Amino acid sequence: MSVLTIKDVTKLFPGGTKAVDSFSLEVADGELVCLLGPSGSGKSTLLRMVGGFETPTSGLIAIDGEDITRTPPEKRPTGMVFQSHALWTHMDVAKNLAFGLKLRRLPADEIKRRVEAVLELVGLGGYGSRRVTQLSGGQQQRVALARSLVLEPKILLLDEPFASLDQHLRERLREEVRDIQQRVGITTLFVTHGQDEALSMADRIVVMRDGRTEQIDRPDVVYRNPQTPFVAGFIGTMNLIEGTVSNGQFTRAGFSHRLAIGDGPATLAVRPEALDIVPAEPGAGKVHRVTDYGTHGLVDFDLPDGKRLKAMVNQPGQFQHGQGVNLMPRAVAAYRDDVQVFRSAP
Amino acid sequence: MTSTEAGALAPAPTQRKRPIGLLLVAVPVLLVLWLIIWPIISAVIQTLWLPTPDGGRTFSAESYEFFVSDPYSRANLAITLWTTGVCAVLLLVICLPIALYLRFSNSKIAAYVQGLAIFPMFVPSIILSFAFIRVLGPNGTVDLLLNSVGLPKIKSPYLTPWGPVIGLVWDNIPLTVLILLSGLGNVSNQAIEAARDVGAGRFALLWHIILPRISNSILVAISFAVLGIFSAFTLPYVLGPAAPEMMGPFMQRTFRDLFDPTNAITQAVITFGFCIVFGLFYVRSVAKNRTP
Ligand SMILES: Nc1ncnc2c1ncn2[C@@H]1O[C@H](COP(=O)(O)OP(=O)(O)OP(=O)(O)O)[C@@H](O)[C@H]1O
Ligand SMILES: [Mg+2]
Repeated sequence: MSVLTIKDVTKLFPGGTKAVDSFSLEVADGELVCLLGPSGSGKSTLLRMVGGFETPTSGLIAIDGEDITRTPPEKRPTGMVFQSHALWTHMDVAKNLAFGLKLRRLPADEIKRRVEAVLELVGLGGYGSRRVTQLSGGQQQRVALARSLVLEPKILLLDEPFASLDQHLRERLREEVRDIQQRVGITTLFVTHGQDEALSMADRIVVMRDGRTEQIDRPDVVYRNPQTPFVAGFIGTMNLIEGTVSNGQFTRAGFSHRLAIGDGPATLAVRPEALDIVPAEPGAGKVHRVTDYGTHGLVDFDLPDGKRLKAMVNQPGQFQHGQGVNLMPRAVAAYRDDVQVFRSAP
Repeated sequence: MTSTEAGALAPAPTQRKRPIGLLLVAVPVLLVLWLIIWPIISAVIQTLWLPTPDGGRTFSAESYEFFVSDPYSRANLAITLWTTGVCAVLLLVICLPIALYLRFSNSKIAAYVQGLAIFPMFVPSIILSFAFIRVLGPNGTVDLLLNSVGLPKIKSPYLTPWGPVIGLVWDNIPLTVLILLSGLGNVSNQAIEAARDVGAGRFALLWHIILPRISNSILVAISFAVLGIFSAFTLPYVLGPAAPEMMGPFMQRTFRDLFDPTNAITQAVITFGFCIVFGLFYVRSVAKNRTP
C-alpha cells in the first residue's frame, strides 16, 4: 500500500541539540521497522517528524512519493500511538475511536461499524461503552492502537507504546501488535529501546546513536553480524575486548588470538555463546561467578587486568570461583575505528 | 481518578486517632459557625422578626416586600446582576485566550505575559480605581492623547455602568487566568497531539478536547469571579454611577447614610441568597471533580 521515504533528515533543536543527524531510511510497503537505540539517540524526534509534530531542519519526508515534510499532523496520512496518557478521558472508548471518523464526516452507521470492527481486531469487542479510566494499562494501549487503526492510516507510528506496562503484558502485546500489523499489512515504524522487542517484532532494525544510523539490517543479521562495536555492545550480550594486533596476533593481558588484520589497536567482539572456556591452571582468566540456568550456565571470569568477560557453558558444574580458565573463541569479529575489519566465517 | 477506590481499600482508621481528627476539624467548623452561619441566621431573624411600635417583635416579610416592590432597589439588583453577567462573559472571553496562549506557547514572551496577567492581583482596588480615572476619566490620558492628534474626546465610561465592569474585569483577570491555567495543566500534550493526529484542527481541538477537559475549571473560575463581583464594593463605589448602584454601595449607603439597618440587612440577605446559588455551582463542580 504505502512506502515511507526519509531522506537526509536533520533536526536541530533551538538549544543546539542535534537530535537527528542526516538520517535516511526507506520503509517498504507493509514492513515493520524498529528504531532501536539508547535514550536520547533521537528515536522519538525522528518519529515525531514523520508524524508531523516536529519539523525537520533539513531533509525530506515522503509517503508514496508525496512530500509531506511540512504538512501539519492533522493533514498527514499517519497514525501515531503514544507512550501513554494520550486517550481522551472525557470520552468513552467508542467515542475515542469515533472522534477522527466524525471529523471526516462519515455517516453514523458507518462509524459504528468501523469502530466495532476495529475493537474486535484489538480484542476489545464489547468494550465500546467503557470509560477509558476503567481500563487496565494494556487495554488502554490497545484502545490507542485501535484509535489509530480505525482511520486506516498509510503509516502507523508507535513510540514505545508498551514502556509503561509490565514485562509479561509487554511480551503479549508485542505479539498481538505484530499479528495485527501483519493482518492489516500496514507500513509501521516502531520506536523502542528494548532490544528483545526489536529483535522479536521487526522486519528490519535501525540501530541509532546520537541521531545517526549505526546499522540497518534484518534482526538476525544485526545480532549475528553487528557492523560497529556500538551495535555489537547494544544488541544482546557481547564481550568487547580492546587490545592490540601485531603480526596477525591479537593480544590483551595474557589472552591472545590469531587475527589476520594489519597491526594496530583493535576491538575483538565475541558472544558468550561463541566463547568456549576450559579449566586450566594458571589459565588466561580467573572465574568470578558461575550461574546455573538449568539448560546452560553462564560463567563470569576476569582477565588478569580485571576485564570482565562472559562465557556460556554446557556444564557449569566444572567451574568454580577462583579457578583458572583458558579462552577459545569460536566466532569473532574485530573492529578498528568503529568499522568492522574482520569477521570469522559463521 | 483512583482516589475513590484507594479510599475504599485503605484500612479503616484506628479508633485511637479519631479524637485528634475530630478536634482538628472542630476548629474550622466552629469558626465557620461563629463567623458565618450565626450572622446569617441572625440576619435572617432580624429581617423577619421586625420590631413593633409597642416594643415587641412580630413575624413579618415586610422588609422583603419593600425590596421587591421598590423600583429603585429592583434597579440596583438588576444592575448588579447585569454587571456580574457582563463581567463573567468578558472575563472568559479575555482570560481563556490568555490561558491557552500561556499553556501552549513555548516562546520566552509567554513568561512575561504570565507575569503581566498576574500583576493586577498585587494592585489594591483603590489604586486601580484612581489609575482608571486618570487614564479613562474625563481629561484623562486617553483624552489627552486623542486631543493631541486632533481627535474628539472619548465618551468616558467613568460613572457609567461600564466603569465598574472595566475595573472588576481587570481586577479578576489574574485569579481567572490562574484557575484556567491549572485546569489546562491537566490536559496532557500527548492527548492534544493524539487529537491533531486523527485530524483535529484548531477549532475541533478546542471544542472537543480542551474545553470538555477544563469545563470544571471554567465553572470554578467563573463562580469565584462572580462571587467576588456580585458583592464588590470599592470599584463600583468609586467608578460606578450614583443611581442605580450595585448592591455593595447600596447596602453601605442604606446603613450609613439612611440609618436603616433593617433594609440594609435585607439587602445583604438577598445578596447572600444570590451568592449562595453561585457557591453551590462551585461546590458541585468541585465535588464532580473528586468523583469522576
Ligand atoms: N523539544 C525539545 N527541545 C530541545 N531538545 C530536545 C527536544 N526534544 C528532544 N530533545 C533532545 O533531542 C535528543 C533526542 O531526544 P529523543 O526524545 O528523540 O530521544 P529518544 O531516542 O526518543 O530517547 P528515549 O529513549 O529516552 O525516549 C535528546 O538529547 C533530547 O534532549
Ligand atoms: Mg523517546
